[in-house]
Amino acid sequence: MTLDANIFLRQGRFVLEGHFALPGQITALFGPSGSGKSSLLSVIAGLKRIGRGHVALNGRVLDDSAARIHVPAHRRDVGVVFQDARLFPHMTVAGNIAFAWRRAPAGHRRAIEEVAQFFDIAPLLDRSVRHLSGGEKSRVALARALVAAPELLLLDEPFAALDGTRRRTFIRVLLDMHRTFRLPMLIVVHDIGDVAALAASVIGLQDGRIVAAGPLAETVRATAFRKLLDARDIGAALPAGALRGTNAQNGEHVWLRADNVLLTTQLPRELSARNVVESRIVTLHREVNDAVLVELESPAGFFFARITTDAASELGLVPGRTVWAVVKAHLL
Amino acid sequence: MTLSAAELEILTTSFAVAWRALLWSLPFAIVAGLALSRPQLRGRLVLDGLVHLPVILPPVLVGFLLLLIFGRRGPVGAALAQVGIHLAFTLDGAALATAVMIFPLLVRSSRIAFESADSRLFEAAAVLRAGPLDRFVSVALPLAAPGIVAGAVTAFAAAMGEFGAVITFAANIPGQTQTLPLAIYAVLQQPGGEGEALRLAAMSIAVAMTGLVSADLMLRWARRRFTE
Repeated sequence: MTLDANIFLRQGRFVLEGHFALPGQITALFGPSGSGKSSLLSVIAGLKRIGRGHVALNGRVLDDSAARIHVPAHRRDVGVVFQDARLFPHMTVAGNIAFAWRRAPAGHRRAIEEVAQFFDIAPLLDRSVRHLSGGEKSRVALARALVAAPELLLLDEPFAALDGTRRRTFIRVLLDMHRTFRLPMLIVVHDIGDVAALAASVIGLQDGRIVAAGPLAETVRATAFRKLLDARDIGAALPAGALRGTNAQNGEHVWLRADNVLLTTQLPRELSARNVVESRIVTLHREVNDAVLVELESPAGFFFARITTDAASELGLVPGRTVWAVVKAHLL
Repeated sequence: MTLSAAELEILTTSFAVAWRALLWSLPFAIVAGLALSRPQLRGRLVLDGLVHLPVILPPVLVGFLLLLIFGRRGPVGAALAQVGIHLAFTLDGAALATAVMIFPLLVRSSRIAFESADSRLFEAAAVLRAGPLDRFVSVALPLAAPGIVAGAVTAFAAAMGEFGAVITFAANIPGQTQTLPLAIYAVLQQPGGEGEALRLAAMSIAVAMTGLVSADLMLRWARRRFTE
């Protein structure tokens, strides 16, 4: 699957503009509130019409302002899971899923029972959608979207209402869904830790503009992307295998915050932390409040450590120097 | 209270007129209600005005306009007479006059029903491959149905009591066009008719109350069923 988009959309004083391509994996759409994430999803889904530009899915033109082409939402092969689930209240759980099944292309119909098993909602099939919990509603919405057999699935903060364990469970469901059904996804995600857990690539959006886009680990290194983050969240995405003692599985990433990294100039001995990474200092970014952001390079990838200005000068940290980074992995 | 043969006939006529009026008016009212529920519709103000004309105009004038159009010499009436359909001074005519009078009521209730159906659900249906007509039939109409039906029940009760337009266009013919209010009017014209008028009035009130209460019960049921 490839999606190629070059869009310009004006809504009052807000302008959404940018060019990007989606690979056939999970891509996270990241940016502050009001940056245009939901509008971008609406454009790709065909629920909003662009002013200028073009959108193509697997080579099929969905929008082309110059040729006056606009394929309506119901003919796009693009599915959407909305934040508020939007289940049909006049149907049962099974009715909602069957609604999608009846309209799916003949050769792409999945058995409703199997899908229900996968999402663990088989016991709910005969229930009315009104008495479902938030998590159950989300899973029914996922099942319904999957049964419609889209070529690309857009998800607008599907786990915004969930917290803690239920949130991690839901992320696991999304990853399993992606692997089992090979369904490319574009997901609006608010938390950078969730971005690392879910996505293989990322699009950073600010004030309606795409400031960074591409494979996860490289893209989050860009200064423009770092500006999207809260100071406490600044960090890097490391492959799950690079650190010991995290919950992440192979192929996934963990978000390593700069504040969770200590630096020493000598290999530490008899230390409780399980992760000590030999790395080389790339640059030092001076921050406000007497802090220094140290950009480090290691065989596992680049990452940051935040230390005080005093510590940086006492340890004599300069670009090119080798240091040992100590990480408490269970914080991730 | 047992009904006399004449009273039973009046009640039957009233029901026959009201049913026909409802069946003829409702499909157009649903379409008009849907159109008016769309904020982006062009000419919405004009359509809204046209729909509400029967409320503003004196009912006698509506009956007179119907006579001009559907009367034997009217442009439509003459054409219909060619194929053997006569509307003026018939039960069907009484139903047509009533249909026009209850039209605004029906449009109003279906418009509110469509407006209160969550439009975000139409987007959800669209991304599940449902086209515009499909969305109307499988999502908008079922969600609006309780409101439309409740409105139809109210309109049916109102149809039983329509007077001015009916008497002008269809006259007051016992067994054909004499509905409850027309019968009340007729007995009041006779000396000593007050007693009979009271009996008919009681029937009229009973029909109206039954209609209103059942419409309300239906809306409550629907609200319980469809609100999450």
